[in-house]
Amino acid sequence: MKPATDPKQDFLVIERVTKEFEASDKDGKSIRVIDGVSLSLKAGEFAVFLGPSGCGKTTLMRMAGGLDHPTSGEVRLAGEVVTGPDRRKGMVFQAYSSFPWLTVLGNIRFGLKYRHDVDAAEKDRIARHYLKMVGLEDFADFFTNRISGGMRQRVAIARTLAAGPDILLMDEPFGALDAQTREFLQVQLLEIARAEGKTVIFVTHDVEEAVFLADRIFMFSARPATIIEEIDVTRTLGARRVLETKQQQDFFRLRNHVLDLMRVQARKTEEIFRPEAVGE
Amino acid sequence: MTRNGQHRPSLWRQLIAFRGQTSRNTDLWVGVASFVGLALLWELAALMRWAPPQFLPGPGQVIGALWELLVKYDFLSDIGISVFRVWAAFLASAIIAIPLGLMMSSFRIVNGVSEPVVDFIRYLPVPALVPLTVIWLGIGETSKITLLWIGTFFQLVLLIADDARRVPKESIEIGHTLGARPFEILRDIVLRSMMPNMVDNLRITLGWCWTYLIVAEIVAADSGVGYVIMSARRYVKTDEVMAGILTIGLIGLLTDQLIRLAHRRWFRYL
Repeated sequence: MKPATDPKQDFLVIERVTKEFEASDKDGKSIRVIDGVSLSLKAGEFAVFLGPSGCGKTTLMRMAGGLDHPTSGEVRLAGEVVTGPDRRKGMVFQAYSSFPWLTVLGNIRFGLKYRHDVDAAEKDRIARHYLKMVGLEDFADFFTNRISGGMRQRVAIARTLAAGPDILLMDEPFGALDAQTREFLQVQLLEIARAEGKTVIFVTHDVEEAVFLADRIFMFSARPATIIEEIDVTRTLGARRVLETKQQQDFFRLRNHVLDLMRVQARKTEEIFRPEAVGE
Repeated sequence: MTRNGQHRPSLWRQLIAFRGQTSRNTDLWVGVASFVGLALLWELAALMRWAPPQFLPGPGQVIGALWELLVKYDFLSDIGISVFRVWAAFLASAIIAIPLGLMMSSFRIVNGVSEPVVDFIRYLPVPALVPLTVIWLGIGETSKITLLWIGTFFQLVLLIADDARRVPKESIEIGHTLGARPFEILRDIVLRSMMPNMVDNLRITLGWCWTYLIVAEIVAADSGVGYVIMSARRYVKTDEVMAGILTIGLIGLLTDQLIRLAHRRWFRYL
């Protein structure tokens, strides 16, 4: 018997989730990308999925968003089984994040387009609120291909927040940005997530980014993905993070620990691919 | 000022540089010059009698013939009927191809059912269908418009479906996560993202319509630019034949430029 769960404690529950993809080779064996992963997030928690490229962490996050479906197991958001995407599960992608035919404000307002619970005036107010929150008031009327990549990601974040999701799912949103912009956006994202009290799943393979942002890091193994370690970052670094946090001894120690874990997994990833390379 | 003048490569250099940058005005003048150059070459060929004058009238004579056609033979109404046929067929193609193409890109069943049929018809040469359209639909307007429609619709629908398929998956998923329904995603995201490409494809398709128009008008018609060209040929009025061809070219050029202008205005963000 399953014990009754407290929705505050277990806001997002991933339970024994496995994902297999049909293989295209001739023996037709399916490839297991995620192997029985279970985890649960508290409301308002900032979780980072960290792991080597191609390990399945993005797939797992997409399943939380209802954009992919588990082969077995289930994902529950606030006690309800996730069956498909909707407005409660907001997504920020790495690329193609904004619509070029809309202005910055138009893009943010697009996040509210399918909300029938608020009227037009309220939509304008909410859109302007998030425009201000991401600091793009001066660029409100710019088309998004006239602004930088960093600004475009801020537009995407603002649009996603404007839709009023319960959880924010971010798939390497800063992956294509330069180091300075990235750092700036990390700080800004943390401030926004705190202010909004949003639950976040943030996927990255950048260790420093993971340690800086996360309340908890879920360290994934090479394919098929399993959680090899759960790192409670907030216990070590506290909930408040500023740029100077990156200079602390504790930060270094934690980062080095996670880097070690990452190296081992990255090596395993290499090994997974090697036999195929030799065989061909 | 002098520094600017010294360091900016000259206009001529910009024009011949690999992927060089020029202003739109420069491009316009280059285009005009190319036209004028061609006309001069033509005039020269006629003056030098490179071919007998009844086979190669000069530009002056052709323009004269065009003027005569317009004034004496009500050529304007022939132009009108041809433009009407082209646009009727083109609009009928677009109105059906856009929704069907969108559906083909969105639903496997629609694609599965229509693609083989479309591919089959797409390869049929339009002139080969003339006898059939005449038997079925006679030689009236319906027959000609249908012919033009067949020539363009089956190409256009595939172009539209491809444009729709090229819309990034992420854009569609953004729609899902914002709570949009499939129809809303098609209307507000897919159609909007593909719009610039689609307008380009429509512009190209409109050009094809003119190609098939002449086929239709040459075979069976008693009006239209193609009919005028064919009747002029019968009496070896080469100047009138060329006047007709010139007219089609000019209409094509004008339409193309207008659509390009609209493209720039509608899609300022590009």
